[in-house]
Formats: sequence, structure tokens, C-alpha cells
Amino acid sequence: MTAGPLIVQSDKTLLLEVDHELADECRRAIAPFAELERAPEHVHTYRVTPLALWNARAAGHDAEQVVDAFIAYSRYPVPHSLLVDVADTMDRYGRLRLVTHPAHGLVLEAVDRAVLEEVVRSKRIAPMLGDRIGSDSVVVHPSERGNLKQALLKLGWPAEDLAGYIDGEAHPIELAKGDWELRGYQREAAESFHSGGSGVVVLPCGAGKTVVGAAAMALTKATTLILVTNTVSVHQWRAELLRRTSLTEDEIGEYSGARKDIRPVTIATYQVMAARRKGVHTHLELFEARDWGLIIYDEVHLLPAPIFRMTADLQARRRLGLTATLVREDGREGDVFSLIGPKRYDAPWKEMENQGWIAPADCVEVRVALGDDERLAYATAEPEDKYRFCASAPAKIEVVRELVQRHAEEQILVIGSYIDQLDEIAAALDAPVIKGETKVAERERLFGDFRSGRLRTLVVSKVANFSIDLPEAGVAIQVSGSFGSRQEEAQRLGRVLRPKSDGRGARFYAVVTRDTLDQDYAAHRQRFLAEQGYAYRIVDSGDVLAGNEI
Amino acid sequence: MIDDAGPAAHQGAGRPPTYTSWLRERSDAELDALLAARPDLLTPVPADIAALAARAASRPSVVRVLDQLHLFELQVLEGVVALGDERSGRSPHGVAPSALATAMAAPTDRFAAALDRLRATALVWEEEGRLRPVTALRDILPRPAGLGPPLRVLLSGRPLSQLDRLAADLGLPTGYGEGDPADRLSAALCSPDRVDALLDDAGPDARSVLDRLVWGPPDGTVSQARPDADIASAASPVERLLARGLLYVTGEHTVTLPREIALRLRGGRLFREAAPHPPELDGPQRSPLTVTRAAAGQAFTVIRYVEELVEHWAEDPPSVLRSGGLGVRDLRRSARLLDTDDTTAAVVIEAAHTAGLIAATSEVDGEWLPTGHYDVWRVTEPARRWALLASAWLGSTRVASLAGSTDARGRSRNVLGEGLDRRPAPEVRRDVLGVLAEAPEGTAPTRDSIAARLAWRRPRRQGRGFDELLDSTLAEAALLGLTGRDALAPHTRALLDETADGQTVAEAADSATVRALAAELPEPVDHILIQGDLTAIAPGPLVPSLARELALAADVESTGGATVYRFGESSIRRALDAGHGAADLIGLLERHSKTPLPQALRYLIADVARRHGRLRVGTASSYLRCDEPALLDELLGDRRADDLVLVRLAPTVVASRTTRPVLLDRLTELGYHPVPEAADGTMQLSRPDARRAEEHAPDGGLDSPPVPGPRLRAAAVRALRAGDEAATAARTPVAAPPNGPSRPSTAATLTALNRAAAQGQRVWIGYLDPEGRASSHIVEPQRVDGGFLTAYDATRDAVRRFTVHRITGVASLERDGA
Repeated sequence: MTAGPLIVQSDKTLLLEVDHELADECRRAIAPFAELERAPEHVHTYRVTPLALWNARAAGHDAEQVVDAFIAYSRYPVPHSLLVDVADTMDRYGRLRLVTHPAHGLVLEAVDRAVLEEVVRSKRIAPMLGDRIGSDSVVVHPSERGNLKQALLKLGWPAEDLAGYIDGEAHPIELAKGDWELRGYQREAAESFHSGGSGVVVLPCGAGKTVVGAAAMALTKATTLILVTNTVSVHQWRAELLRRTSLTEDEIGEYSGARKDIRPVTIATYQVMAARRKGVHTHLELFEARDWGLIIYDEVHLLPAPIFRMTADLQARRRLGLTATLVREDGREGDVFSLIGPKRYDAPWKEMENQGWIAPADCVEVRVALGDDERLAYATAEPEDKYRFCASAPAKIEVVRELVQRHAEEQILVIGSYIDQLDEIAAALDAPVIKGETKVAERERLFGDFRSGRLRTLVVSKVANFSIDLPEAGVAIQVSGSFGSRQEEAQRLGRVLRPKSDGRGARFYAVVTRDTLDQDYAAHRQRFLAEQGYAYRIVDSGDVLAGNEI
Repeated sequence: MIDDAGPAAHQGAGRPPTYTSWLRERSDAELDALLAARPDLLTPVPADIAALAARAASRPSVVRVLDQLHLFELQVLEGVVALGDERSGRSPHGVAPSALATAMAAPTDRFAAALDRLRATALVWEEEGRLRPVTALRDILPRPAGLGPPLRVLLSGRPLSQLDRLAADLGLPTGYGEGDPADRLSAALCSPDRVDALLDDAGPDARSVLDRLVWGPPDGTVSQARPDADIASAASPVERLLARGLLYVTGEHTVTLPREIALRLRGGRLFREAAPHPPELDGPQRSPLTVTRAAAGQAFTVIRYVEELVEHWAEDPPSVLRSGGLGVRDLRRSARLLDTDDTTAAVVIEAAHTAGLIAATSEVDGEWLPTGHYDVWRVTEPARRWALLASAWLGSTRVASLAGSTDARGRSRNVLGEGLDRRPAPEVRRDVLGVLAEAPEGTAPTRDSIAARLAWRRPRRQGRGFDELLDSTLAEAALLGLTGRDALAPHTRALLDETADGQTVAEAADSATVRALAAELPEPVDHILIQGDLTAIAPGPLVPSLARELALAADVESTGGATVYRFGESSIRRALDAGHGAADLIGLLERHSKTPLPQALRYLIADVARRHGRLRVGTASSYLRCDEPALLDELLGDRRADDLVLVRLAPTVVASRTTRPVLLDRLTELGYHPVPEAADGTMQLSRPDARRAEEHAPDGGLDSPPVPGPRLRAAAVRALRAGDEAATAARTPVAAPPNGPSRPSTAATLTALNRAAAQGQRVWIGYLDPEGRASSHIVEPQRVDGGFLTAYDATRDAVRRFTVHRITGVASLERDGA
């Protein structure tokens, strides 16, 4: 029996002991076909999903390779049935192929006729197909390319898409030379994306996803449509592109609520794209406005449903999804993969931290208690109000004030979900608030002041959850959140993960009300980060207020 | 059926040429080999060699052993039948080995080996150096090597007029003047020159008719053929052949090519291509390590499946269908529980049942429950646990993967139910695995090459049923971890060797199977790794005590080589409910965790513990309320009310375990004048303990004749010799009955038993039980009275009584009697 670092479980998860001497080698061997699911301190969990196996097939790996990796690194014998299952699953890929036929256009072609027969009889798929050409192929409506691939994936017969991509309108884009350099992993991510044609890059907050986008654009050298979460983010992308690439002001257009410029590189918000007037998506024409050669989806985990649907029609264009946290509470991660593309690059947070690309972070959960009166009020509150009630417990304000005082020398963000609570805290701290109703100009002024250090403390609502680049923010205090959202927690931590100029670490406080829903949700929110290896320390508000070391 | 009648038939002859006497001349070792190869000859043990010969020559027994022959042995046997047929009228009878070898045109060593096997199984015997088939073979193999009957058979029984016409056409004498015309004709037609001449004479189109029949089947269908055609009147090619005696009408529309003519046309060869070598096994190459590990991994999974399933059934037993099986819904549920498919679940359930780990309770609405046997199995070492399951499966007639299919009447076959028994299953399994064992190391033979090899090995055992068994065997062997990546695992090889003699692995204290597998299975570990995301990982199977504790305190998230546990509020509460304190829970985890306990877990345990038990719940059936505490004091002090089990909950409230009517009655009796209050008490039922089915012998499905071990066989040979001596020295008054299978008289049985009882000897007896099942026992007779033998039965390790008239034979175990 070899003492390998890998243990294969019967539910097809793989446990990798990270301290093992062969761990790195093993990680590289299993990475092509297994998704990293959890990366806590000692044992990382990978999952072998059909999708991951098919992606591996698409990337040129075969079942023997998978089996060899299992056998070579596994500590214990691997059940035969699991090996068979892996081989069978991988074998399903590529029985069907999407190809461009010289006469008929997009065509679904079968290597295995029985599979095609099964597929054309499927109720869901039949409407997407046109006439049969001979016994082994069938015409596909070009607009259904995405839907068809998605439906085939659900049927378990993933099609190999050989129809290729439209090059789109060429546009010269180069990376700017200057005081910066593309980091190794950024280059790797961009190249991995480019060679695959489309896909998703997962990098922690603060690791420079925008730069990966810019690098991808420089590789594609074509007109690009960038979809981002909000207007502030539009401006940040614009600024970053101007800095990192050869693009000039005139070449970058902004398509948002306020302005509607369409340029070779256009940055639009999801909100505008998804907006409807009289039930019609009025801004869809943007997708056809130019012959886009590349579409970038920023924060792809937030992709709203209408954009999903539109994306299905864009399968012939190159698509790049960027995210830090591909967890969706709606469980639609699979749709992201099937519509945008497979995961092309993924880096565990802690690994980035070890390499110094993101700041080390210390996560602390501060527990406050409800007073006896409040407990009674909490117990009798309507179910829908319960979370708001405990999350905005007055005791939190005192704790926040104390924490802010402790970090008086640093840039502090106080983040919450409930405006009333944020207003109260802002008043108590005598700090400005940025919330939904704050004008964009005002927002940018406040962010600017904060970045420059004129403003030490800023209270923000969830408008600042994403994409707001605040390099020097070193402390975040979270007072309330969107229930149990795991990605929100991670994104908020992400606000303080930019490496600091003096190399100091970041602090993330979650102030939580004990023995209430707040605590339950907090536990759920922390799960993603805990699985990435961020261990929360728990301290009592009493210790904070008493001035004890925490 | 047999070549001779009995002992009486050869009294006078000096060296009687019979099958019986041939058998009698075999050495003890040869007889032993015969009995080993044909165990059915032993049930019950025949009284003497004559009886043995009768049984060995009987059709059922011959068919049984024919099924064991491989293709080449069968071909050689067909050769013996074809060439050694005494009906051909040539003498001496039989065929010389050298002639047969020439006709077979096969490598000498393979031919000799095949012939040895045929002799060892007594299908072929020898007379003056010539080989003769057992007579029954003539009917069983009516067209040996695709050859028709001998000329003499086809000729005899034909009207004399026909024979005369033929003889006239051939220029031979007619009538009975010079012996039997059939003999004469057949002898003439055996002459090669004459046959060649007749063939030339019949013309090329007649020759092409024969070409179609020459390699068999020898029968052809014709629209019309006149049996009485002569050379002059013959119209068609067929009639020309008929007229020349080269072809014979054997039915209204059938003509048959006689054996001798076909052989001549074949150039003296029996087979176009003899098959002395089995077809090659080919398939993808696998590294032996992969094979071993894949199979061991599967074996480990199966053990875990069985344990998980049976433990679950102990708490929540599925019910027995009225037809006796397990319902489809229960099967699905089991599959879900094991996180696998229905077929795997079915195989696991059947294996557990076959190994006697689960059984149905005998009530009317029965349930499937673990047996006491399971409790023993559970504490056995893992490799042995697997060996028990695998060997039970190997010998079982149950074919689990048929579950879910429908039978001829359209009824679905249920797991553990009827319709899953296939009598040949154990034999086919052994054959299939045996073929896998023959494959070169690292080769995973394809299904087709296995099928081809089996078709060679068991030519008479083919067909749809056989294919079904082949497929199910391959599937089930993979599921149970006997094969890995389609090649045979080393532990299975050991298992096949160890169980070849009908032994079970359970009996072997030091089993090679167990050793081979144990080397591959994970060692139990006694530590866990606890991580910040509140999971704990046991990097291998846990020692049972720790596994129990952890199963309480955490939920299992995934299983396999390792186990992943997740701590959560509910799981911690479960541990606290089971009586753990927060401190000892933390202590337990600290002791066993190789990594420091994360703070979050300490908080979680402390949080749950803080809230645990603040409310307390009890059971009461009724209560008493009273505004005067003094009255309740009085009642609680009243010793007559002790039986009411009163508990003071508060100064003015008392709870009682007795029901309201009883409380009312009793208090009225005691003179307290209570008034009932409208209220209802709730009962909390506690779960009953995990239950067990009554003891149940392992169930391997259908009974089949026991495989006799070497000891039993040796005893049987001695018994035969003794019986034979008695029978052949039988000019004494106590002669065996002249006909039929003979048995020693009851008097002789009694004498033998009494002598053994008196001398404290162990004897072997053959016995027929009341259902007519034959069995053999080695016993130490204690006494014989009232028609019963009371004896210590060494085979069963118990004293039991045998009915004397059911005893078919007695033989001393010691050489030379006493």
C-alpha cells in the first residue's frame, strides 16, 4: 500500500492532504478533471463531476489518465465501480459534435447514431433542431447553439463544439508598457482562456481580475463588450483599461443609465442590459450594435437571468467570465459553465495569499448579546422581520465604535445591509454613508477621499459589495448582510484584500448577535471563506469593550 | 443400458471383457479420481463395483459428466463413439488409440491428455487395448463428429428385396445363402476402392450432393426419393447415390450419409479442424497494481455497503413481500441509502442474505432483519468479512442481477424473492472466474474472448441462459470486488484455490485469501483531522470505538477510503442528548485530533451546551392539581398511594405515571374524592432496540449434491471394494439380489453396525433421509436398537439417530476392517 496524499471517496470527492510531500504533484495531476471544492487548513476537497470530466476531455485528457492519477496518488485502493463510472462518463463526451457544415451551416453530427436518435426524440431538444441530413447529422438553428449545448449537457450527452468562434471586428489592443507587469497567474489565466475560446476565470478579490480581462483583450485584439455590475465599476474598468492597455479615451465607451456611447470597447452595466420597458428588453441591440469579438462578464456569479438568456444566443462569440466566488445561492453555477464556458483558471485564496498577491487577512467574529427586553421583542417579532431585528441590534453600534477607535490609524470600511442601521452607525462615528440613493458623483468623491486617505472611515451599504477598488482599506467591519449569502461575505472580505503598501495584513470583523438568526446566517455566510481556509476567531463583545487584546 | 448384467454374468469367464470388470481393475487411486470427477456416483454410495458401473453408465450420470468436458475432449470422445461403435459389426469391437489419433490429426500430447481424462471419468473404457465408449453415449451423441449411423445400421432392417437389388447392382451374391446380406453389403461398401469407383460412377453432380453432407449434419432433406431406385432407373443425382448404396433414405423426406462413406470422403479425418487448444484470451492490458487496488477498493466498498445496509435494516426493517422477496420500493430505498444503483444494491443484499447475515422473520407479516450471524461477522476482520461474502456468492444459485427483470409470465422478479435461482450458477461462476484466472497477468479479457474460451471449455453448456449467467457473473464479480478493471484480483485467485474442494474460507484459520486482501485494505486509524470549516476527516477506517463516538457528535458527509464528518448544531445536540458533557466532548476530540481544535468548534459546542437542557421534558400520564399544598403533602405521605408513582413538580402540582382513570379510581378508593379535569397527556414513545431475526443457517439458494471431500471419497472407495468383495464372493447363501442396484441386506448392515458399536470403531454410512436425499456420514455407532442407530456423527459434530432401513451402506474406515 502506498501512502499517497489522495483519498478517493465513494461520492467522487477527492481528499488531498496538503502537508503531504506529493501534494503539489498530485494537485497538478487531478486539477484537469476535479473541481476544488473546499480548501481549509489540512485537507482539501476536490469533486469529480461529470462536467469536470467532460471539460477534461475537451482539454484532451482521457479516462486512462484519470484512472492513472487515482491509482498513482491514492492512499487506499479505489473502488472498481468508481473507475468504471469515470470511464463511462468521459466516454459520453464527443459522441455528438457541433460543426459548421459548408452547405447547411451549424450542424449536430453524431459519431454514435444511437445517441443522435435518443437526442432528436427528446421533447426539449427537438424544437432546436432542423432537418435531418443523412442518418448521422441534423441541422441546428444557429440561435439555439447555446440552448442546445445546455440541454444536451442536461441529457448527459455533451456536444463537442467544433463550430468555432466568430473573430468579430478586429481592433488593435496592446498591453501598455510601464511601471507594471502582468503577473504569472494573470498571464496563465488569460492564455488558458484564449486557447479555450471561452470560459470562466476564478481569482480571489484583489488579485487583479480586471488585468486578466485586459490581457484577454490584448490577446483577442477585437472589439469588446464588457458587462459589469454598476456605474462605479464602469468607471473603474475604464480607468484600469486606460492605464493597462494601449486604448485611448475615445476608444472606450460607457453604456449605462446616464450615457450610451458605443465604441470599439464598450462597458455596460447588467442593470441597463436587463432593464425592461413595457416588458421588452430595450437595450438588447447593444449586443448587435457591433460585431463584438469578445464579451467579458465581470462578477459572473451575479449574472442576472435575462442576461443568461441573451448569452445563450451569443455562443459564436468569445466569452470571458470573471469572478472571485462562483457560488450562487440559486444553485445556477452549472448554467454559468454551460453558457459562458468551462472554468479555465482557478486559484485558491490562501495560495494567492502565500504568494503575496493578496493581503493576509484575519477574520474575527464579534458576538454581541441582546438585552432581556430585546430578546422578548425578538421572540415575538414577525418571522420576516426577525433577521432585520437581530442584525440591527443596538449593541452593535457600541462595538463598532470601539473597533473603529482601535484601528484609528487605518482605513476602515463599515459594511451593512440595513440603511437605518448604517445611518445610526454613521452618526455615531461621524462618518459619511454611501448607499443606494447616493449620487454617482458623490460616491466617487467619497471613494476618492477614502483612497487618498483624507477620509479614514466610510460606512457603505451593499452598493459597495463588489468591484469597488479601495487599495488601502485595511479593516472592514460587517454589521449586517444579505441573510446567508456566502459570496457576499467573500466579496466584502475582498474589499480589504488588496496588498497594502506597507505589507500589513487586513482585518475583517463580523459583528453578530448571539443566539439569534444573525448567528445562524453568519455561520452559513462564513462557509465559503472557511472552506478557503479563513478560520474565523470568535470573541465576545465584552472583551472588545473592556479593551482586551483580541 | 449397461454392458453386462451383474456379478453373476461373468462367473465363469476367466477374463470377462466388460465395463464392470474394467472398472474393477482400476486402482484405488483411479477410483478415487473417478469419484472426485463424478461426485454424483457417490450419492448414495453404491454397494459394489457392479452398482457403480451401472450408475456410471446411466444416461443422467453420463450427461452430467459430459457437461464437464472441454471441446477437444468432447471431440476425442465423439471420435471414440464414431469409430468404436460395435454396431458397425466389425470385430474386435472398439477403436485402437493409434487409429483414433490418426483420425483426429491433433498434437499427440493434447490427444493423450484428452484420452486420459475420458478414461479417468470412465466414459471410455478399454478392451484388449481398444477404446470403447460407454453405451449410453450412442444415444446421447447420435451424430458423433457430424457422422451418420454406420452402414450396417442403415442396411439392417431394410426389406430383403431392396438389399438384393443393391447387392445385384454391386455385383455381390444375394439372399441369405452366404450369411447376413446386411453384413455383406456393409463390408463391401467399406472398401475404399469400391467406394471410389461408385462415386466416379455416380457422376460429379452426385458428388456435389455428398459434399454438402460430408462434414455434417449427415442428413439431407429431399422432396422425393425413391428408396427402391436401382442404377438403371435412377433419375436424379440423389437417386443415383441411393441406388449405389452411398446414401440411404431414413425418413419421408430425409436421406442420410452413412458413417463409413463420409469418413472415406473426409479422407479418414474425423474433424475438419480439431480444436486441441483453447482460443486465446485477449483484451486490454492493465498493470497488476491497478487491478489489485481497484478490486480491493471495491471489496472494501462492499463490506461497507453491507454494514451500512444491515445496520439500517436493524433499525428500520423492510417487510417481506407476500411472495417472499423484498419490495421494489425497499430496494430503491436501500440503493439511495448506499448512494448507488439498484443493481448494486440488489447484489449486495443477495450477498448478505446468502452469507446468512440477513433473514426474514417467520411471522406472517415478516420483516428482513439481521441475524445473530451478522453480529459475529461484524467483528471479524474486514478481509475475512469479504471472503465470507464472496465465497457465499460463489457457491450460491441466486443471481441477483436478474432482479427487476420479468419472468416468462411477465411477473417482475424481486430481490430475495423467487425466480432468481439458476442451478448452474455456481458452476458457471467458477468457470468464468477460472477462465479469468487463465488469462496472462495484467490482461483483462474482453467479454467476447471469455465467451469464446468458455464455449471451448464447456461446449455442451451454451445458449441464452448460459450467456445470461456469463454476463451476470462478470457484472457481479466486478461489483463484489472479485475482479478489478475486468481482470482477476490476486485475492480472488486465492479464494478460488481455497474453495475449490467445497471448503469455505471461514474454516481456514490462516487463509491466503484473507492475507492477500488484508494487505490491500486500509488499516484502521485512531485519529482525525479537524479543520476550521467544522469538518473532521478520518483518513481511513476508524477504530470502532472512535467511529461510534464520532457518529454521534458529527454528521457523515462522505464515505469511502476516508470519512468526512461535519459538526453542526444538531449533531452536537445529539451527542449531548446521548449523555456527553461539553467538556468530555471537547476532551474526546482533543485526544483524537491530530490538529489543534479550531476555536469555532469550541464555540459551537459551548453554544449548544449552553442552550441544551434548559427545558426538560418528562412523561406523565395524568396530573393532580390542588390549591392546598398541605393536601398534596398528605397524599405523597400516604403509603397506600405508593403504587401511583407520584412526582411533585411544583408545590401545587403532582404528576403521575398511571393513567387518569386508574388515578381517579385509586384516589376515590383512598377517600380523596378527586374530580377529573379535561386534559390530555402526551406520550413519547422510545424507539425499541435494534432487533435480530432468529438464527438462520446461511442460505445458498437451491440445494445441490454436496461435493465430497478427500476423506469421504477414500472411505467410499473402501466401502466399494468391501461391497464388491462381498458381492463377487457371492456363491454363499447371502447373494445380492440378481437385478437392480444392489444393497447389502439389512442383516448385514445390522451386523456391521453392531460390531462397530461393540469395538468403538468409526464407520462410514450412506443414508437416505425421509425426503429421499442421499447423504454420507462418518459416525461412531453407540447402539443399535428398535430399528434405529444412535451414533456420534462426525460430519455434523453431534449425536443423532439414523433409521436403520434408510442406511444404504456401511463401511469400515480402518483398513482391513478390524
